[in-house]
Formats: sequence, C-alpha cells, structure tokens
Amino acid sequence: MTPLLSVENLTVTYARNDAERMAVDSISFAIEPGEIVALVGESGSGKTATGLAIMGILSANARVGPGSAIRFEGRDLLATPERELRDIRGRRISMVFQEPAAALNPVMCVGDQVAEVALVHGERDKRAARTKAIEMLGRVGLPDADERYRAYPHELSGGMRQRVMLAIALLLRPALVIADEPTSALDVTVQAQVLALLLDLQREAQTAVLLITHDLGVVAETCARALVMREGRIVESASVDDLFHAPAHEYTRELLAAMPRIVRPA
Amino acid sequence: MTARPILAVRNLRVVHRSVGFGPARVSVAVNGISFDIARGDTFALVGESGCGKTTTARAILRLIDASSGTIEYDGLDLRALRGEALRRQRKRMQIVFQDPFTSLNPRHTVGSIVGEGLIVHDLARGAEVAAKVARLLEEVGLSAADAVRYPAELSGGQRQRVAIARALAVDPEFLILDEAVSALDVTTQAQVLALIASLRDARVLTCLFIAHNLAVVQSVASTVAVMYQGRIVEQGPVTALFAASKHPYTRAMLDAVPVTDPRDRHARTPLAGDPGAGGGAEPGCAFYPRCPHPSKDAVCRAAVPPLRAPAGESAAGSAAGSAAGSAAGSSSGAEEAQGHGSAHLVACTKAVPPSL
Repeated sequence: MTPLLSVENLTVTYARNDAERMAVDSISFAIEPGEIVALVGESGSGKTATGLAIMGILSANARVGPGSAIRFEGRDLLATPERELRDIRGRRISMVFQEPAAALNPVMCVGDQVAEVALVHGERDKRAARTKAIEMLGRVGLPDADERYRAYPHELSGGMRQRVMLAIALLLRPALVIADEPTSALDVTVQAQVLALLLDLQREAQTAVLLITHDLGVVAETCARALVMREGRIVESASVDDLFHAPAHEYTRELLAAMPRIVRPA
Repeated sequence: MTARPILAVRNLRVVHRSVGFGPARVSVAVNGISFDIARGDTFALVGESGCGKTTTARAILRLIDASSGTIEYDGLDLRALRGEALRRQRKRMQIVFQDPFTSLNPRHTVGSIVGEGLIVHDLARGAEVAAKVARLLEEVGLSAADAVRYPAELSGGQRQRVAIARALAVDPEFLILDEAVSALDVTTQAQVLALIASLRDARVLTCLFIAHNLAVVQSVASTVAVMYQGRIVEQGPVTALFAASKHPYTRAMLDAVPVTDPRDRHARTPLAGDPGAGGGAEPGCAFYPRCPHPSKDAVCRAAVPPLRAPAGESAAGSAAGSAAGSAAGSSSGAEEAQGHGSAHLVACTKAVPPSL
C-alpha cells in the first residue's frame, strides 16, 4: 500500500540577519491513511516547521532545501503550483493551530468561517453551505449551533473556539489533518473534551492525523505511532508502546523521565 | 497543634469591575476563601483558568486590592499596610510570574534586573551589588557572566531562573510561584521544579505554588487547595487530595490528566462544559451545572456547600466542623476557630455526612 503522505529528506531553513538557521534537517517519514502519528518535541525542535512545510504555508523567510519531497495522494506537493495547492488545502489536508483565538478571524462570525470552507471549495449555494456549517458546529459540540452560528470568536470560551477550529478543519472530511498543539492552550478538563472529540471525528471520517505536541501524555492518550524530534532531526520513530516501554534514544528517555505524573498511592 | 500559620487568609473576596462603555459589569473573581500556610510549607492553589487563583496571589501581595476579608502575615494585617510599611513588607514576599518572556524588562540586563531589588531595599551598594548578583545567578544555576546579557539572549528556562534570582535577591521569607513552570518545555520544567524545591529547602522558604496541573503539584506541595469559580472546593494534605479526593471537580481534574503510559488508556467521559469565570450569581454550588452526580433534590442548588470534613474521615478540629453547618460559606466563629490548615475539607453536600 502506498502511504497517504510521505516526507522525504525534508530540509527547512530560515534566513535571519544574513544567516541561515536550519529548522528541519533532512527528515523522512510516512503516514498511512487513517493513522494517528505524533510528532513530539520541545520548542525549537522543528516540529511546527515540518507541519507548515507540508501545508505549504511556511513564512517568506523560510526555504525548503533542494532534494526535499513531500508526496501526498500521489503528487509531490513541493512541485505543485500554488493554485492547485489552494484546492488541496482545506479539502484534502487541513490544519488545526494551537491558539484558536489567533487562528480565527475576530471580525467574522464563527459560522461563516466554517461555511467559507465549503464555499471556497466549490459549494455555490450559500444556504447549503450554511446548513452544512450548522450541522458541523453541532457535531463538534457547540451548544445551540443554530444561534451560535452568529457568534464572534471573542464570545466563545477557548474550548469552544477550538471546537470551531475542528469544525473548519474537518468539514470536508480531509484525508489528513495536521494538528499543531491543538490542546496545549486549553485547561485540563477541556483538553480531555477536545481530544475525545478529535478522536471521535477522526474515526468517523477515517482521517489521518499528524499530531504535533510537546506533551507525551497527549501522545500516550491518542497516538499509535510517534516520531521524536530534536534540533531538526527525527531521533526516534516507534510505536507508542515501544516508545514508552523500550525507548531507544537517550533523548526520549529524558523526555519520559521529565514527564510530570500523578502517583496514585496503592 | 500546629504552629501559628505565617499566612492566614480569611473570607477573601475580590471583585473586578469592568471599565469601558455601557453599564459596569461586576465579576467576583475570588468569592470568600480562607486558608492558612504554615511556615516552611508549600501550599498549592490549583484550578483552571478564571478560577481566581492568580487574583488571590495578587491580592495577597497587594498588587490589586481585595474587596473584603483579611490577609494576615506573621501577625500583620496586610490589607491595612500603607507606604513605608508596605514597602518593607514587600521585601519579605516575592513572586515569580508565569511568562518569563513578559515578566523581564527586555531593555535591562540580567544584572540590573536581579540587582534592582538590592538597590531599592538598600541591601547592597556599589561593587557589592555586582558581587551579590553574581552569587544569586550561580545559586539559580546560571553563571556570573550572564549578568551582562539581555533577556532576549536567554532561553525560556534561563529566563525563569533570572526571575527566580530576582525574587530571591531581597532574601524573602515567602515566595509565590504563579504558574512558574507552566510555560516551560517538559525537560526544562523538571529542572526548574527541582531548582525551586532545593532553594526552598536551603533557604527555608514558605511557598504559595499556583498551578493548573495537578501532576506538577504533587511532587512539590504538602497541602493542596482546589479552586473553582472563586471558591475553594476541596483542600487537604497532598496525600488525601490524590488518594481520597471527595469533590467531583477534583476527581474530574485528576481523571482528565492524560495517562503516562499508552497501556493505561481507558474509555472515559470527559466532564462537560467549561470551567468558566466570574461565578457567584447563582445561589447554589457553582459546580452544579457540570456535576456528574448532582443531588436529585434541590440541596445542591439551594446554597453554596460550606467546606467541611468529608464523610468517614475524622479530621482534626471536626468538633468545630458541626458549627459551620448553617454558615453556607459565610464567616462563622466556629469556622474561624477550626482553622484552615492541613485538615481535609470538602465543599460538597454529597461528600459530607448529612448529620453534620
């Protein structure tokens, strides 16, 4: 079976003050359809740059190195013109960001932001797009989706805003969702809700997820496989069971040892 | 009996008033909380965003004004302090903020950030300042040479070490750590937590440790209080809170912490709803709308359940507990006498015996 996504020899450098800093250093990995894979690492490890490179939305001062390839559904995204990428983004690959308050448009009601995805991708009937959006908002657990359609992001809690982000990302049932720290800004009880919802939607649509996180607890809770990144390189790639029970790399062991854990007295 | 607490907070209330157009909106950030911290102890205040934990810390430090209640530190009424007395008190109590990217002045060197308190409180002069700053930087695991650097040149963990050095510069007795490790990467977090614990022990500091993550609290605190919408809903020794928590909110928070081993994955029903903010409008238990086990009768909605010893536990001072029966969260003499030290207390009608 050919993988859904295969990243080959990806290198990303950022130019700053005439110097080039390497954020991602020739990494390779693949994701199968419907699979949930964690990309774990601490800040500055290159995990977000990897996600942005797959989406094709790296900032202007970033450069993807020669010899890099990102194959998705049979095409090399790096060789795909922007025009076609725009059709893929939101429809076949979508992204959920860490901070929904920053990712959502503050002057557009949340319902229109969900409906926009359908309209951009070929839906001509505004009313149909609206109906679809309301349905999806209900599906992600926004209470009174019909009325909340008109709500602005600032009128919603952080958890509700992240539900709206999930509605936008999953509206068109993409094959791949890149979730970049989707619960890191949320309270612990809300994190549990949003993770459960993400898994639910993922199962339903058979979406593959690249879950970018620094939290090994989130990995233990949701993923089948994990890639550990450090200083731009993947230092370990393993099933989560092996990762937690037989970590091969010293850095993975360090991460595991540093994990805050609740010790339940016997 | 335990020694007299160094910090005693009673019925603390902090009300925020919105400023701007339209009618002023009032939100009760802290709604009548009481607790004691014994000298040398580490007391953790845990809760989700908007529960009032940071507001409590700021009210104690007089960075904001409380609306009512008392804050007593070593026999001093902190709310009454003014001018020079307040300034002197501030030398005794210091705080480390959550975000070392915003809490350090980007235009000051590390040396001047750490040394400022020494100069303000006249603890060192001239060359002495630099020597003391160097010692402080080494104490927190930085090097004396870092004094000439700017915050932008440092990593998050290093910046938080600078913030800790700044707090320790005036040789305080009492340290508030307001989500001091929450913004750090997990390996850095573990290092800074270890540093805090060793400094606390070496300097015999009393700490108020504020966090939203119960897993972080367990290793550093001796007593824990869980806040929800401006009130303490459960408090007690760290062992009781983690082994025998009684409040459904404490339990939900514990249950929501991700597993640390994929083999421990289990189906669970996450608590519905949001932690929310600015409670106090409804008469009953603020947690009632989210509670997975609310009472069938109206008791949960009738009045705010007071903090009492849970059923089946003979808490110290339980004799006084009975007198708090009708207090419903307001102050009562008996409740005051009972103290708010390390006894296990819970504010839930279903967790306490009905006879009390």
